[in-house]
Amino acid sequence: MRKLLVIGVAATMMMAVGGSANAFECKVKETSMDKPGGFPERALTMIVPYGPAGGSGQVAAAMAEGVTGLTGVAINRDHKPGGSGTVGMTAYMASPADGYNVLEHIDDASSAHALDSSRPNPAEDLIPLVISQVTFSQIYIRTNETRYNDWDSFVAWVKAQGGKATIANVSKEGSMERVTMKFITDATGMEIQQISFDKGAPRYGALLGGQVDALFEQPGDVRKFLDADNFKPILTIFDERPSVFADVPTHREMGMDFDPLLRFRGFYVHKDAPADRVKWLQWAFQRGYCQDSYQAFNESKFMTVIDSYRDTAGARELITRSIAQYRDVYKSMGMDVK
Amino acid sequence: MLENFLAGTGALFGDPFTIAIFVFGVVGGMLFGAIPGVSMLTLAAILLPFTADLEPAQGVMLFAVIYCTGTYGGAITAILFNIPGAPENAPTAFDGYPMTRKGQSGKAVGAAVLCSAIGGVASALVMMAATEPLATWAIRNIGPPEIFALVFFGLAVASSVGGRTIWKGWMSVLLGLLIATIGQDPVGGINRYNFGFTDLAAGIAFVPAILGFFAVSEIFVQAEKKATGQFDAPKVGMSFPTVIELWMHKFAVLRSILVGFFCGILPGIGATLAAFMGYGEAVRWSKNKEEFGKGKLEGVISSETANNAATGAAMIPLLALGLPGGALTAMMVAVFQMHDLEPGPLVFYNSPDLIWIVFAAMFYANLSILFIGLIETKTILYLLKIPFQFLAPLILLLATIGAYISRGLVLDVMVMFAAGILGFLLRRTGYSIPGIVLGLILGKIGEQNFAQGMQMVHYDLGTYFSRPICSILIVAGTLTLAAGLYRAFASSSNTA
Repeated sequence: MRKLLVIGVAATMMMAVGGSANAFECKVKETSMDKPGGFPERALTMIVPYGPAGGSGQVAAAMAEGVTGLTGVAINRDHKPGGSGTVGMTAYMASPADGYNVLEHIDDASSAHALDSSRPNPAEDLIPLVISQVTFSQIYIRTNETRYNDWDSFVAWVKAQGGKATIANVSKEGSMERVTMKFITDATGMEIQQISFDKGAPRYGALLGGQVDALFEQPGDVRKFLDADNFKPILTIFDERPSVFADVPTHREMGMDFDPLLRFRGFYVHKDAPADRVKWLQWAFQRGYCQDSYQAFNESKFMTVIDSYRDTAGARELITRSIAQYRDVYKSMGMDVK
Repeated sequence: MLENFLAGTGALFGDPFTIAIFVFGVVGGMLFGAIPGVSMLTLAAILLPFTADLEPAQGVMLFAVIYCTGTYGGAITAILFNIPGAPENAPTAFDGYPMTRKGQSGKAVGAAVLCSAIGGVASALVMMAATEPLATWAIRNIGPPEIFALVFFGLAVASSVGGRTIWKGWMSVLLGLLIATIGQDPVGGINRYNFGFTDLAAGIAFVPAILGFFAVSEIFVQAEKKATGQFDAPKVGMSFPTVIELWMHKFAVLRSILVGFFCGILPGIGATLAAFMGYGEAVRWSKNKEEFGKGKLEGVISSETANNAATGAAMIPLLALGLPGGALTAMMVAVFQMHDLEPGPLVFYNSPDLIWIVFAAMFYANLSILFIGLIETKTILYLLKIPFQFLAPLILLLATIGAYISRGLVLDVMVMFAAGILGFLLRRTGYSIPGIVLGLILGKIGEQNFAQGMQMVHYDLGTYFSRPICSILIVAGTLTLAAGLYRAFASSSNTA
């Protein structure tokens, strides 16, 4: 009976997701573009500052497949993990600005620049080709949790623990997770111990096994646990309720008045790359976003729940806003902003 | 279970194309596992896009097979040339290579082949029998405090391996622990000891460090002997371990299966810790601890049994809960997703056929290690007949490529040569290379889990002792430590 129930819930959820996805319309109308001066006449290299199995590795693979399918130009992915993306970023900045080298990076690059302005600003030192994943965060608890079952009861329970309650996230200094948790704890007055897990599996296992009391994560990363009815969201950190999570309150509804920080992943090229090559790359990556294979990938990752697409101008606006927001909060946290 | 297993076997061997994929995975895993730097992960990353065109069961099965045989593949180069193909084969080199120097290469390779197969098959059988309850037990009872305690327990015997004295053994382990702290701290992301080099923010990677400490330092040692006329070429030993020898190590095999399985079942841990812990337990329970690191068959047996025992175990949290145990199992998640599947509880209900094909394939892949391994061993041992002046540059070239290719950083090549020079100097003075590598690898895993554990227990160390598994491991580790120190003091007093 329980098996049937689980399957039923999962199936319902999948149908809900499928039915609620935004109708997709490609914003780049040109289906082809002449190669400027024959560029590219060989494979592109995409530096990915994270491992192949994580979120960045997967989005890089999906975009490479989309662009190659569209243009016939191969893309070699060069993974350089480490240092929260700084190793890959440094390697990229040292590579030739000839348009043959592109970079995948996430919002960590923006927060790193906000903390230390000597680090590259993704909106100015790089040209965003496209941001292809934008998502929000949620707080999750186990579905079979008996101590609390929604945001209000969770906050009340956490307060009663006197700082002993725990939440799993990636709480590195200055990270989006830590900043958002500061917003939440300031607004609610609750004290909760953040446990930093840099890999997804131990993080999710910690909640599944009851090692921690809650989890801070993005929905695409825990979709399988939602489908399997292991986790349930109790708070959405976004300005409105996405239709897929229509029964989950937003932070604003719960009385927390802060602008949500979004997780975003995108693709970049050197600002000094030849302009005609940049233009071709912008077309290839923005149109690559529209490829069926890429859209199917984003769909599977809950990345169509809100608008995941930003062209160059939209990406610059998102990055610049995020940097300003991070910088303000770092200062308010007393961090050494350089 | 038997019925499902036979059905999985039938599906696996009932289709020529599926058989071809299976054979490709077995051979490819062994080859890529054997080449340093170019690991089974490289092969998996290359193959990932192509799995979209396969049936879901074929794609997942291919990765599972590569995982089994790739974990074994690196043992051969570890034993013959002191070049572990991957970090999980490093403890195999501790005793495997000294056995080669003593003319017992056949015995070491034969034991590695046999024990990899035994560890893998035993693990696959347990995986088939009890995936769901074991996965649930592991995540409920094992958290960061327990993993830290496990690492502490393992480190407590590390000083016994390879050093001229126990004090030099400890100094070696502490040096490894110190090297492990280079790079961003695992919780706050604060840079440590990177001296302004951004690339060092990621810390010292295992592969170049292992290549340097083992392969490069060995080249320097042998080159020095060659220059001073003391060089003694390793003899090709074709004698395999006898049945009696293997029977004498039955408890080591059994212990390593348990240790490897336990480590493999923990999400995010996997075969590397399993191999080191398996080796460490062999040392702990031995009456002749001082023989480890100098060519003891039990060292090879323990390491290779444990790392392959971890392969089946690592599939348990992946399949039952959707939690990958390491990088390769994380890639398997992508294979599932390419076919609109998600590993986790529902996969048992939605795709039972797929699960049993994968289970059967892992079982037969481990058996294949035995047959293919024994056949290849007969030929590969003759590589030792290549004169040193030709072999040494080849090993240096392979090691350099291996160090660079793992992350594409020149820094890693520099780290490899620095480790080689350091290893060469430390070996001359009686310090332990296995001790340094144990400290480096267990240190990284241990520090991360210690920091997470401290956050979980609100920085109250005493709370560690309220967790039963944790307190047992810490107490046992402390007793081992105390016994080792007592023996060291007693030995010093007798010498004086």
